[in-house]
Amino acid sequence: MKKKMAKKICLLLVVLSPVSIFAQTKISGKIIEANSKKSIQGVTVSVVGNTAHTISNINGEFIITLANNVDVKQQLLKFTSVGYESKEQSLKDIDVSKLFIVELREDLVKLDEVVVTGQGLSVSKRRLSTNVTTISAEQIKGLPVNRIDQLLQSQVPNAQIKMAGGQAGGGSIIQTRGFNSAFANSTPIIYVDGVRVDNLNTAATLGMSLSGGTAQGTATSSLADIPVENIEKIEFINGGAATTLYGSDAANGVLQIFTKKSGSGKANIGVQADMGLEKGTGDFFYFKRTKELLFRDAFTQRYSVTADGGNSDFGFSAAASYAANNGYIIHDNNKSDKFDFRAGFHAKISNKVTYESSITYGRQTLTRNRNGNSGGYSALWFLENGASKVIGGGFNYKLDSASTEEYARIRSFVDSAEMLQNNASLVNRFQTSQVIKYQALKNLLFKATAGIDYRAQTEQSIVTNAFNRLIKSASTGSISKFDRNYWGITLELTGQHEAKVGDFSFLTTAGTQLFKNTDRQVAYSGQDLLDGGLTVGLGATRNANEYYAEIVSSGVYLQENIGYKNRYFLDLGIRGDNNSAFGSTIGTQWYPKVGVSYILSSEPFFQNWDQNILTTVKFRANYGVAGNFPPPFVNETTLTPGGFDGKQAIGFGQSGNTDIKPEKSYSKEIGFDFGLFRNRVLLTATYFNNQTKDALFIVPPASSTGQDSYYRNIGVIENKGFEFAVMASVIETKDFDLKIRASANTVDNLVVSSGGAASFNLSGMSTRTIQTVVKEGYPVGYISGYYGYFNADGTYKSSDPQAFLGSTISKLTGSFGLNIRYKRLSFFANADYQQGGYFANWNKQFRFNYGASTEGVPAAEVAKNGTLNWLNFSQLFVDKSDFLKIRTMGINYTFDKANLGNAFKRLSVGISAVNPFNFTASDADPEAIMPGGAQGQGSATTGGVAYAQFSAPRQFIATIKVNF
Amino acid sequence: MKKLFIYSALSLSLASCSMDVVNPNITENSFVGTSQSSEIWLAGMKKQLANTLNQAVVFAEIVSDNYYNNSSLTNKVFDGPVLLYSDVDIDNTQRAIARLREMGTYGIERIVPADKGATATAKAEMLFIKAYAHILSGELFVALPMAANTEAVSPAVHFNEAIKLINEAITTQTDATLKNGYQLALLRCYYNLGNRTEALRIANSIIQSSSLMVRNAVFDGLNGASNLQQSYTFSNSTNVLAPLPRLDFLDPKYYHVGNVNTDQKPLAILKSEEAFLVAAEAYLGNNQLEQARTTLKALINDVIAKRPTAMVDAKLQLRKGIRADYPVASATRVQADAQSAAQSKLVLGRLEGNVKVNTVSGTSVTIAELDKAETVDQLLYLLSLIRQQVFMSEGRRMTDLGIRFPVSQIEKLNNKKIDDAFTKAVLPAYIPTGIAMDDFTYDKANNLVVIKHDMNKVLVANKTAPNVFPMLK
Repeated sequence: MKKKMAKKICLLLVVLSPVSIFAQTKISGKIIEANSKKSIQGVTVSVVGNTAHTISNINGEFIITLANNVDVKQQLLKFTSVGYESKEQSLKDIDVSKLFIVELREDLVKLDEVVVTGQGLSVSKRRLSTNVTTISAEQIKGLPVNRIDQLLQSQVPNAQIKMAGGQAGGGSIIQTRGFNSAFANSTPIIYVDGVRVDNLNTAATLGMSLSGGTAQGTATSSLADIPVENIEKIEFINGGAATTLYGSDAANGVLQIFTKKSGSGKANIGVQADMGLEKGTGDFFYFKRTKELLFRDAFTQRYSVTADGGNSDFGFSAAASYAANNGYIIHDNNKSDKFDFRAGFHAKISNKVTYESSITYGRQTLTRNRNGNSGGYSALWFLENGASKVIGGGFNYKLDSASTEEYARIRSFVDSAEMLQNNASLVNRFQTSQVIKYQALKNLLFKATAGIDYRAQTEQSIVTNAFNRLIKSASTGSISKFDRNYWGITLELTGQHEAKVGDFSFLTTAGTQLFKNTDRQVAYSGQDLLDGGLTVGLGATRNANEYYAEIVSSGVYLQENIGYKNRYFLDLGIRGDNNSAFGSTIGTQWYPKVGVSYILSSEPFFQNWDQNILTTVKFRANYGVAGNFPPPFVNETTLTPGGFDGKQAIGFGQSGNTDIKPEKSYSKEIGFDFGLFRNRVLLTATYFNNQTKDALFIVPPASSTGQDSYYRNIGVIENKGFEFAVMASVIETKDFDLKIRASANTVDNLVVSSGGAASFNLSGMSTRTIQTVVKEGYPVGYISGYYGYFNADGTYKSSDPQAFLGSTISKLTGSFGLNIRYKRLSFFANADYQQGGYFANWNKQFRFNYGASTEGVPAAEVAKNGTLNWLNFSQLFVDKSDFLKIRTMGINYTFDKANLGNAFKRLSVGISAVNPFNFTASDADPEAIMPGGAQGQGSATTGGVAYAQFSAPRQFIATIKVNF
Repeated sequence: MKKLFIYSALSLSLASCSMDVVNPNITENSFVGTSQSSEIWLAGMKKQLANTLNQAVVFAEIVSDNYYNNSSLTNKVFDGPVLLYSDVDIDNTQRAIARLREMGTYGIERIVPADKGATATAKAEMLFIKAYAHILSGELFVALPMAANTEAVSPAVHFNEAIKLINEAITTQTDATLKNGYQLALLRCYYNLGNRTEALRIANSIIQSSSLMVRNAVFDGLNGASNLQQSYTFSNSTNVLAPLPRLDFLDPKYYHVGNVNTDQKPLAILKSEEAFLVAAEAYLGNNQLEQARTTLKALINDVIAKRPTAMVDAKLQLRKGIRADYPVASATRVQADAQSAAQSKLVLGRLEGNVKVNTVSGTSVTIAELDKAETVDQLLYLLSLIRQQVFMSEGRRMTDLGIRFPVSQIEKLNNKKIDDAFTKAVLPAYIPTGIAMDDFTYDKANNLVVIKHDMNKVLVANKTAPNVFPMLK
């Protein structure tokens, strides 16, 4: 295997070598917006039938060069940019010796926008039967956040992204079209420039266990350190037919990030500084004093430099940033430091061959305090859940009514407990993508992609003797370290052929993809550590553990998109996958799709109608299959060795399932896209019905076998619902623009069958307390606990065990946004909402247990039984998870040459706020929940259990950006 | 250039064909038949024994009147006792015992025959540990399958199977000490079966020959098998389990000094005290009051008094959990119930300095008290109390109280052969519910604790009930 890899790398190096120089004709132009006449940056200008392309610069200017041996007058230039109608311009009547002006119109309908769907190569949205959400650099550039999932919050109409807890670098829960899987985390797979990257959004198998068991606590998410610098655009497709060609792990959707690889003309340099205040969100605390005990005002800062330039022969774009935040939790316990660097370039090797490359390096350090049920002391459990009654010798746990002396004691204890913590995470990440495009014929393009993602994470948790003495633990000092090294390689070869026969057009895409990733984790710890010791070697005794997983997946795919009269389209595709995780009896897995797209508005009869109201009409329907492959090695029956009492020992390991195969999500959808009022309003509606068959459930066999739970393809999960999105350009004048967008998505989720297996939990504690559970006839991850009945006098009467207490999946989710521009002043706001779901407020239940509050419990019951029945009426602690949250808002003013003269090309200043307003149905934050799944690394969770987690903090940031 | 693409395509296709991955796991085929495999498997069984006891002992202690779970860790309803077949901890216990049994079967049937170097000692130990799994099955559950996915059978079937296995182990074993220990297991089976004659015969034999024998299960904090009872009674900072105040002086039985991972105390799974207790109970069953008295005196003088003790720094055992009013002062006097006389020295002064604890057995019952007992019931009460105290923190009290776990819901769902009747726990009517067994009042001003129920009194009053005092039947 290693030899093969070496050969491939050599081959790539050969391909990447010398660039030839050709005689050239230069064409210069400028691209402006048709209405406001403002210049448009980032428009891709390409020569049709050729791989040559360039990008417009900050002033909308571009230079493209043509080889001398081509007839310039015969050439066709194509202008494409996310959010604008694409345009083809013949050079026949253009005087190429002068600057020519190209006007592009803003386009909400985006029918002819080119996207990279399926695999590797591009296709116009017109031909697609599925929805693709494209987010431009313009759309995200003003957002003052620097992690990819947070950046996409409220930007993708049919995806809901929730930051689970407010600690730096923590996990998120991403939901699109409900929850397809009860074993795989719902985070979509992520590609950067065609290369799959690590998307682990839960704790690792061997990871820092600061909260509620390793798997469910706040962990360092690998989404938190994907650099967000230098992004050209982002595409998101949800599962089903849209992701069929991605194969065995695309059922949760695919997120593709494309980075910039070119500027235009001589170097354009931009410098940006963001500085501001970060404040912990204390709105949801039960005790007013919690905030003053734990929070402080933090300073957040970020500096970035970008540089790009080039022409159609060679272009580059690079960015570097440094961000630092000293953290809103006292004693630097939520500090972060992030350095990102990304560089991309493209080079024309010959008239037919282009080479593109991007290289990314990121380094992130974080600190974190103990959270959730870390055992001993954790800030919110101690203060908010009443555990101060039992920890550290006991305190007055009714914080707000504590006397001055009592409060001073608590304050001193918390201050010491926070000061004595030393938990940190360090990530170094390197990514690269190398792409060769070969235009074999005018209508035949090949693309070869190779790239890697390497992510090395080290976590460290030190528990000192001083900390143990403080919390009155008899334990000695210890240090635990956890290394996780992820390495993934993607190799892909795709060809695309375009043909026209009469009214028919054929777009054929075929390719093969290989990816391999390894995940090596090492946990090592030292015990009996003297205070001040920072390495494992200093422990009197040392211990180590290792986890290793490796996956190889190969796939072939073929897609045929047939068009008739440029308005009827039939989309057919199939992918075949082999994967090392499949059982020995499972052969190649096939994923087919079929879809139709009909552009009614391209019918001649339609063109004759008045199009002022209804301008564009597209209908689409499709059927497709996508999968989630099982984890590595679960097909094998193993024995687990280890040590015991100074000897080698071995016992039963996992019960292998030789029939294990991917679960498959069969998706049907039908929808329409309407462009109204000359496409100033886009209305999109889709009905979807996804059924996951052979769903992988991790269920226990009979207890009498003595074996642990194992994977079986036994479930059926259904998700159906509607998706609506509207975008409107309400006002479009030279000086004043007003754009709004809103979306509403419904989902009806049901576990249709569990194959007769017992219910199992995705999150939470034990069956007797609160869990989120998978059970036939109920939605995935519903809240299960005891439902209590009360006598007429309000005292407890009886209860039903493991009752349905509410679904954690909101029936309705969506987002909306607003952009206003008056001359050079712009304002934006983005918000998310959800309605119709529930979450278990375990904080409240704990508070009741410890006697810190009796909220929600009948007074008669409290008087009679005290807290004895705290677990018998858990429904009293289940709250509605409805919310409306403003994620980001800001105001920005741009100066250009008219104001600045020649000193700068552009200068903009702005102020923005992150998470400024939260409106929730509950007193608690439905997003401050345990982010991981109980089944371990990468396992499914719907969230739904609020347990001693912080809410995402607020930030108020001032920005200045200068372009030279 | 075309060639390059052909090369690329070819190399990619070749790579696609290769599904080779580095597999770090050990499979059955790679292990069975290897050198030392039976020794390694036996060590694995001992590790599983430790893990099984971590379920069985901790949960049985919580269910009983010995300990109250005074924290939010581990099971929060067994104190009730609420023993529902859906409770995952019942499944955990059943599964851990089944795993121990299945490891025994696998070791005896697959590992030993394939290992040319397998010793008689190793095979006998596997037989013994498997038998111990059957003993736990019979003592803790209303009924359990004998093997994977089979029908659940009564405890008697398990005890008889255990007897068969132990006898085979005795025949096979060449190590005299280990062989002696097996006698104690045999005794326990006959005791549970209510076979007074055999029990008395074996008990007397042990009393004569090995009155200070202990067979321990060991733990290993560095390899994921810490003594959970130690953690919950001593090592964990939240003082998870709180003993009934009248048993306070017996806590902790397991403790650590310095590094918790390297100081995991062993737990006695069999010890000679049991022979004296069984013999005394059998004598009472035969109405031989004096023999019973003599046996119990010998137990106190010749065994318990000779067992080791240790001085332990218990200052962190503040017992401030959900219930914060546990006594920690040596001046405390305890009444076993409202009608009993107050007794001193049962609560240790934990804040006053190191406390003396019994690491194997201890009792508050004195020779004088034994001498004062005039009736079978009076002596039976003292026997019951000594038995409770001797087996403190060893997971035996739940069985002695006549309580049995049901078969788990997960078993029932996967195994259609399980009778519905076995999905209900055995919770005798004389067992007070609502955490009443662990309840007490504490008059701090007068240093007086009054325990709500004296369960030994309750047991004597219900001595004819099934599952209680088998030697009296």
